[in-house]
Amino acid sequence: MKPSPFHPVQISLGLVVWSVWFVALYAGLAVACERAPQAPGAGGPIALNVGFGLFTLATAGLLALSATACLRALRREPERPPRERFVARVGAAVHLIALAATLFIGVPLLGLPPCV
Amino acid sequence: MTRPHTPEADRVHADFDAVWGTPPGWRTLTVVNHTTIGLRFMLTGLAFFLVGGLFAMLVRVQLALPGLDVLTPELYNQAFTMHGTVMMFLFAVPVMEGLAVYLLPKMLGARDLVYPRLSAFGYWCYLFGGLILLSSVVLGVAPDTGWFMYTPLSSVPHSPGPNPDFWLIGITFAEISAVSAGVELVVAVLRTRAPGMSLDRMPLYAWYILVMAMMIVVGFPPLILGSILLELERAADFAFFDVTRGGDPVLWQHLFWLFGHPEVYIIFLPAAGIVSTLLPVFAQRPLVAYTPVVLAVLATGFISFALWVHHMFTVGIPQLAQAFFSAASMLVAVPTGVQVFAWLATLWLGRPLWKVPMLWLAGFLFVFVAGGLTGVMLALVPFNWQVHDTQFVVAHLHYVLVGGMFFPLVAGVYYWLPHFSGRMPSARLGRYGFWLVFVGFNLTFLVMHWTGLLGMPRRVYTYEEGLGWDLPNLVSSVGSFVMAIGVATVLVDIALHFRFGRRATPNPWHADTLEWATSLPPGAYNFASLPEIDSRHPLWERDGLADEIAHGKHGLPGIAHGRRETWGVEPLSGRVREIVHLPGNTLLPLVVAVLLAAVCIGLLAKAYLPAAAFALAATVGMLRWSWENGAHPRAAPDATTPPDHPPLHSRTCDGPGLWGMNLTLLADGALYLSLLFSWFYLWTVAPAWQLPAGGAARGGGLLLASAVLLTVASITLRRLVLRLRQGIGAGTAGGLAAVTAAGVASAGLLVFALRDPRLAPTATAHDALVVFILGYNLFHCALAALATALQVARVRAGYVGAGMPYEPLVVARLWYYAAAVAWSSYAALGLFPTAWRAT
Repeated sequence: MKPSPFHPVQISLGLVVWSVWFVALYAGLAVACERAPQAPGAGGPIALNVGFGLFTLATAGLLALSATACLRALRREPERPPRERFVARVGAAVHLIALAATLFIGVPLLGLPPCV
Repeated sequence: MTRPHTPEADRVHADFDAVWGTPPGWRTLTVVNHTTIGLRFMLTGLAFFLVGGLFAMLVRVQLALPGLDVLTPELYNQAFTMHGTVMMFLFAVPVMEGLAVYLLPKMLGARDLVYPRLSAFGYWCYLFGGLILLSSVVLGVAPDTGWFMYTPLSSVPHSPGPNPDFWLIGITFAEISAVSAGVELVVAVLRTRAPGMSLDRMPLYAWYILVMAMMIVVGFPPLILGSILLELERAADFAFFDVTRGGDPVLWQHLFWLFGHPEVYIIFLPAAGIVSTLLPVFAQRPLVAYTPVVLAVLATGFISFALWVHHMFTVGIPQLAQAFFSAASMLVAVPTGVQVFAWLATLWLGRPLWKVPMLWLAGFLFVFVAGGLTGVMLALVPFNWQVHDTQFVVAHLHYVLVGGMFFPLVAGVYYWLPHFSGRMPSARLGRYGFWLVFVGFNLTFLVMHWTGLLGMPRRVYTYEEGLGWDLPNLVSSVGSFVMAIGVATVLVDIALHFRFGRRATPNPWHADTLEWATSLPPGAYNFASLPEIDSRHPLWERDGLADEIAHGKHGLPGIAHGRRETWGVEPLSGRVREIVHLPGNTLLPLVVAVLLAAVCIGLLAKAYLPAAAFALAATVGMLRWSWENGAHPRAAPDATTPPDHPPLHSRTCDGPGLWGMNLTLLADGALYLSLLFSWFYLWTVAPAWQLPAGGAARGGGLLLASAVLLTVASITLRRLVLRLRQGIGAGTAGGLAAVTAAGVASAGLLVFALRDPRLAPTATAHDALVVFILGYNLFHCALAALATALQVARVRAGYVGAGMPYEPLVVARLWYYAAAVAWSSYAALGLFPTAWRAT
């Protein structure tokens, strides 16, 4: 069930999604390295990095879509009370902050091997 | 007292004081209102600050010159451990919470916090927990393994004495107050604001406190869990952190820093809230960028939970994982930077008045920005490795914590002094105090950065001559004494102002927020009537508002019904939804806290039978406490409301109690998730993880049966609540009794599981965690059953029924939680091991 762009839950939703992504990334890396460790010294794009990279991009895509939904709703419904427009505006920004945080923290996936 | 002295205002005040007033003599111990409790928190925090400062001075004396033996190595270890512990746990967080407890209802236009008895209980737990910890100093067994209590140094083989036990038990007891205040502050911000104060009109301080309180609710439980596990290991030889038995000392580090890094922001955010409140007043214009600052506070609250591993960069975590935390540690500087630029822009665009509070704010900006910059340096893994465990880190954390918390706190104390005394602070002595502290602080800690870069480790009790550390250490020690003189000057100034300070006029700083619409000092009820709010700056935009409030011209002006009350509002819009009635003065919080303190002392003395007896007595005390709720005549002497008013919250289905239960379960859930993290962590990472003989999963079948029973009971309770909401009261007591029986049966199954002779919690970390998880489930089954049994009695007493479905609704949340925990525990203990071995 998708909450309305004007629902107060939008104030934190983007960063909650980011938190879940971060925990999954860190825990997933630990488990993956325990169950399928990469050979030491292996370089270049490798399966775990690609997998976590795709997961990161998917999360970023979800956050971008949610931010867009809030922004569109703001344009579509200008008659909403100021307090509800405040929620949608903050919600859009929070999703964008979470998007930026996801991409920035995901950057090391491009250059570092996973298990050394 | 500065308030209008017209006959009408005097009559209103006398009427309110009869219901809300503080009783004299020993009965002050019964006081529960937030003004008194907030002041007690702050005064107690000040006392602990002086004690913590004394330990700091001992450390600096010892390090002033090479080869000194003012302190023995053992006493030195105790001094630095107690300094860090007292300052972090007994000063910084409680004082910030105390200030929030004092201010928040006043700023929000409410008469009190939502759970006054919980406020009082939290205070007593804080006081007794702190005294238990400090008693270890008198007894010569103070904790001596550092404020973060790392294992295995704090485990029995290396610390056989009771020193760490005082830390683990005393601090955990004191943390009850932090979590309870966290829950209360969140609900207060969301549910008891002035009518019309929608989220976008809320004072920025309330946003800061909302985020800080949520961080406490989620951030403190990992440490509480870690402390319980470590104390169980020390007292009962359970194997959680012992490598030879399948545990891992690094697990303690994870649990500690899962709490420890957010803690820094838990301290900083309310201080930043003070800055965002004071700066516009002295700049004489609204803060620039309200919405971006709200966003920055939210972002800081979340991102600060993704930094904890930067305290552990040297323990051997894979580089990629370190890079995630390094990136997050750099990232958190961005929202902090947004706030700093908002403050600077406000100063730039305003007409700043350089009063004493502004000096401290300027000092804050200088010191905190410097600390933030060294924080970004420490976020970089290679640099972090180089300076790990050196004096550089000590200097950095003091720049962040003293700069980010102490400077704004003193600014706030000066600013709100008229609230506490009705008098204005002096201009001259306050300035001397500021400059002494500012110069002394920078002498001490700026130089300490270089001491660290020269290679001096932290926590060494002395050093040899000729290493290049002599002069910087001497400068730091001299600086620390200058700073101490500065602190003493500030304290003398504040003490003198109570006698010699000029009488404060109403709203003496020409501030914009509602706390200045009270009398100075304020009465226990804050406002004789509760105004409707239509802007972010009510006192700047409505002249005469304070007079109107005092004359009872706004909402809820009557007190003839004899109950304490304030508005309950919708969280987003601030629209009035119900009248929240509040309990009056009572000794129960103190009694329960004393009994729990006795439990702690019993545990420290290893007198487990008396400890159990006191725990039982404390449970009885809590049941008595919860008896005087809802429809009980002591909770609301007169339950009628005028026809044009909303109902009392206890006659609705969505009062503050429901929100409090949800938040308490969120804290409980954070603890449980930390427990599951421990379980999966050891399975994945423990260097010598051991499965029990045969490798069979323990407790799975009985947990499954317990989960089924709890689910059936939860569904039954939900149906009973629905019937109550439809006005059908028949059969409620019988239904609740059946639900209670299911809880007892479920608990019985878990007791049976715990009696499995194959379980050996002292032999392997695996079994130790299985026992703990089963025990956690057992506790929740028993708690749910007990709470429901109380409801049966309340139905029979006429306090719960068709018109009053509120309490079973609250209790139902506990059942849902217990059922969810049982199912997830079954998955973790019963299903996961098989799946893990199969892959």
